[in-house]
Amino acid sequence: MLSRRRTATALCVAAALVLSGCAVGGGGAADGTVTLHMVESLTNPTRTAVLKDLIAEFEKQNPKIKVDLISPPTDQADQKIQQMLQSGSGIDTLEVRDITSGPWSTNRWLYDMSKDLKGWAGWNQLTDNTVKYAKDAKGRTYYIPYGFYGLSLFYRSDLVTGAGFKNPPASWDDLLEQATAIQNPGKRQYGYAFRGGTNANSNAVAVIEAYVADRIDRENGFKLTDGRTIFSAPEALTALKTYFALFKKASPPSSVAWGYPEMVEGFSNGSTAFLLQDPEVIATLGESKSISRQQWTTAPLLTGPSGKAVQPVATAGWGIAAGSKHKAEATKLVTFLAEGDAATTFDKKNSLVPILKSAADDAYYKTGAWASYVKMTENPDAYITVTQPRDSSWWTEWIQKSDADIQKVLLGKMTPEQLLTGWDSYWTAKWKSQ
Amino acid sequence: MKEPVASPSARPEGEPGGTPTPTTSTTDAAVEARPDAGPDAGTDAGTGLRPRAGGRGSTATATATSAPAAPRPRRPVFTGRQGLTVAAFMAPAALFVAVFIYYPMIAGSQMAFRNWNLNDLTDTSWVGLKNFREIFTDPVFGTVLSNTGIWVVGSIVPQFVIGFAIALWLRRRFRFRGLYQAMIFFPWAISGFLIGILFRWMFNSEFGVVNDLLEKAGLINEPIPWLADPKTAMVAVLIANIWYGVTFFAIMILAALQSIPDEIYEAAEIDGAGKVRTLFRITIPSIRGTLSLTVLLRVIWIFNFPDLIFAMTGGGPSNETHIVTTWMITVTQRGDYGRASAIGLIVVAMLLVFSVFHLTATREKSATGGKRATGRKPRTRKTKGTVS
Repeated sequence: MLSRRRTATALCVAAALVLSGCAVGGGGAADGTVTLHMVESLTNPTRTAVLKDLIAEFEKQNPKIKVDLISPPTDQADQKIQQMLQSGSGIDTLEVRDITSGPWSTNRWLYDMSKDLKGWAGWNQLTDNTVKYAKDAKGRTYYIPYGFYGLSLFYRSDLVTGAGFKNPPASWDDLLEQATAIQNPGKRQYGYAFRGGTNANSNAVAVIEAYVADRIDRENGFKLTDGRTIFSAPEALTALKTYFALFKKASPPSSVAWGYPEMVEGFSNGSTAFLLQDPEVIATLGESKSISRQQWTTAPLLTGPSGKAVQPVATAGWGIAAGSKHKAEATKLVTFLAEGDAATTFDKKNSLVPILKSAADDAYYKTGAWASYVKMTENPDAYITVTQPRDSSWWTEWIQKSDADIQKVLLGKMTPEQLLTGWDSYWTAKWKSQ
Repeated sequence: MKEPVASPSARPEGEPGGTPTPTTSTTDAAVEARPDAGPDAGTDAGTGLRPRAGGRGSTATATATSAPAAPRPRRPVFTGRQGLTVAAFMAPAALFVAVFIYYPMIAGSQMAFRNWNLNDLTDTSWVGLKNFREIFTDPVFGTVLSNTGIWVVGSIVPQFVIGFAIALWLRRRFRFRGLYQAMIFFPWAISGFLIGILFRWMFNSEFGVVNDLLEKAGLINEPIPWLADPKTAMVAVLIANIWYGVTFFAIMILAALQSIPDEIYEAAEIDGAGKVRTLFRITIPSIRGTLSLTVLLRVIWIFNFPDLIFAMTGGGPSNETHIVTTWMITVTQRGDYGRASAIGLIVVAMLLVFSVFHLTATREKSATGGKRATGRKPRTRKTKGTVS
């Protein structure tokens, strides 16, 4: 009898433990303190440290709000966030990327902040581009960008001069010429850090866009003004031929499989002379032990035959979960990060193209590797910023497909013509089905 | 019949306890059986009955199986009260398994028949077998299937042979044996994804250590673009996986070897048996059960082990190194959970067919040595538990 009673007690205790473990804290405390759960996506250690400092500052200004920062590893972050959003609780503020805002808002997981931000003073301090990205086609605000990623050409000034060139390449043709001249596989010196692995499509599309810059639809970088896809244009084939020649004549053969880490490593350890990358690489290269600060700098994005380049803008920002119970506090945090010192610190420490107008007067952005970004901003007609259809629900599918196609061309299993026909029909069909 | 279900479901949770269940049961039987194992007749009869029961391995059937070896034991009969207590003790575990394994499994599998795309969850209607049709007609599917075959066979054969050799070598007593053992078992404790990243850099054509060593040894003149060529990329991921998995075989086989009594070897020596003969007549037959079970486990695990490939090649170049499970991940990344679940179900089905086939085949083969063999499992299980 006793044993059975004991068993029953044990079971009750176990059940109680399990149940209490399952309960999710609402975030509110008796003294009125609110805890916000914040999740980041493009996590890296340096960035998390910066974010934590900013959060500490925010908590100091708002003693009744605590922020609990969750930093999942980048590779799985968006999937983790998705799961949290789907469950509907446990998440207040989150990092929304241009590629996730579309699907997540369709699923009604994101909160539209436009009403709360109606009288917000911060709007006037944001650059036009930032305001543009902070509002979707219907004027709803699902996130405020914290910065922008944009391409520029990192190059080795010593190698360029050594090969007899006065200036860095300005166009894709220049790049092909200079990189070919520098390439010397016997000495393990390569021209260009080609991207053949993950996200290979991004650079291939950048070339094509540069070649059709005069006819491109600025609201949708994959469309021409006549409504057809950029891949259907005859210039696209010329662009790709130059681009693939760059691989054959001036890149390491193994770059078929190069993704972000290999490209940056290749440039940073001195084996390649040119690298097309986002500004965040500036910080990474500053720590290189193989090449010194004097050996490299940046040049504006490469242009097509018309002397124009198209900047494929990518961005991310902070938004609020639709299931959050503390939307007012979460809005406070989002606006805090989009204003003044917090915004400036975040962009500078992470090497991002800034969101505040005031950056134009900042000496920091006028020197060294940043100078090319200023040049691009000052010449918006030559360096056209174009919105990419990154919020399409099939964007990830597209990336996987286009990456595989590029590798097929590199391995000789597909011709550039076949690739373009395939891409053209892919996007035409997708737009039709919309 | 149910055995195979247990194995695949146990693996993803990382619960080594899943499959070795039967072992607990047959311990006594085997240990008792061994000394008089010489004349096989008696054992034969026993195994003839057993495989099915032994495979499932609930405590009740287990005790029953030892029947032929020992004089009929008291069969535990549960009276109402005892039965209730047993049920009460089992309830939390049963509940846990039901909630955390079976419910998600069933909930997940119904996604396979729906239009379940994370990019748009406003319409998750029933689409029947559409997801399956799309998988079977996908041009990548053929490559994925043959790669999976290459991946499993190409990994397991060398892993088995090298693992066996290491186990034989570590069985002998020598100085610092414990240290060597620990060093050899260490890779098993590292995450597959991390190993993938390490090997991705080692196989890097320009900056990798592999090409560097080959060049210094004078074997190649110019760097091999390992991960850039589909063929060499497959070789590279296989090498990484072999390095990783040898350990598990070494652990399992060593544990089994240690349970073979020295007297048998002494007897063989006195009878004038050579090394080869001892290996094939004593060592291998004695541990056949462990070998067969380890192979089964490893096939399932390797099949379900996308980490390495995913970190090293991401299934590239141009989808040429995808196996079913890495392919499933890319589909998941697209947000197409419907199709990913369908692939998951196909994986389960394939493993089920394989497990049934394997168990049937090894049952017939080990008809003579089966009893002795299964007896080794309890120890192997213990070893594994402590290491992994």
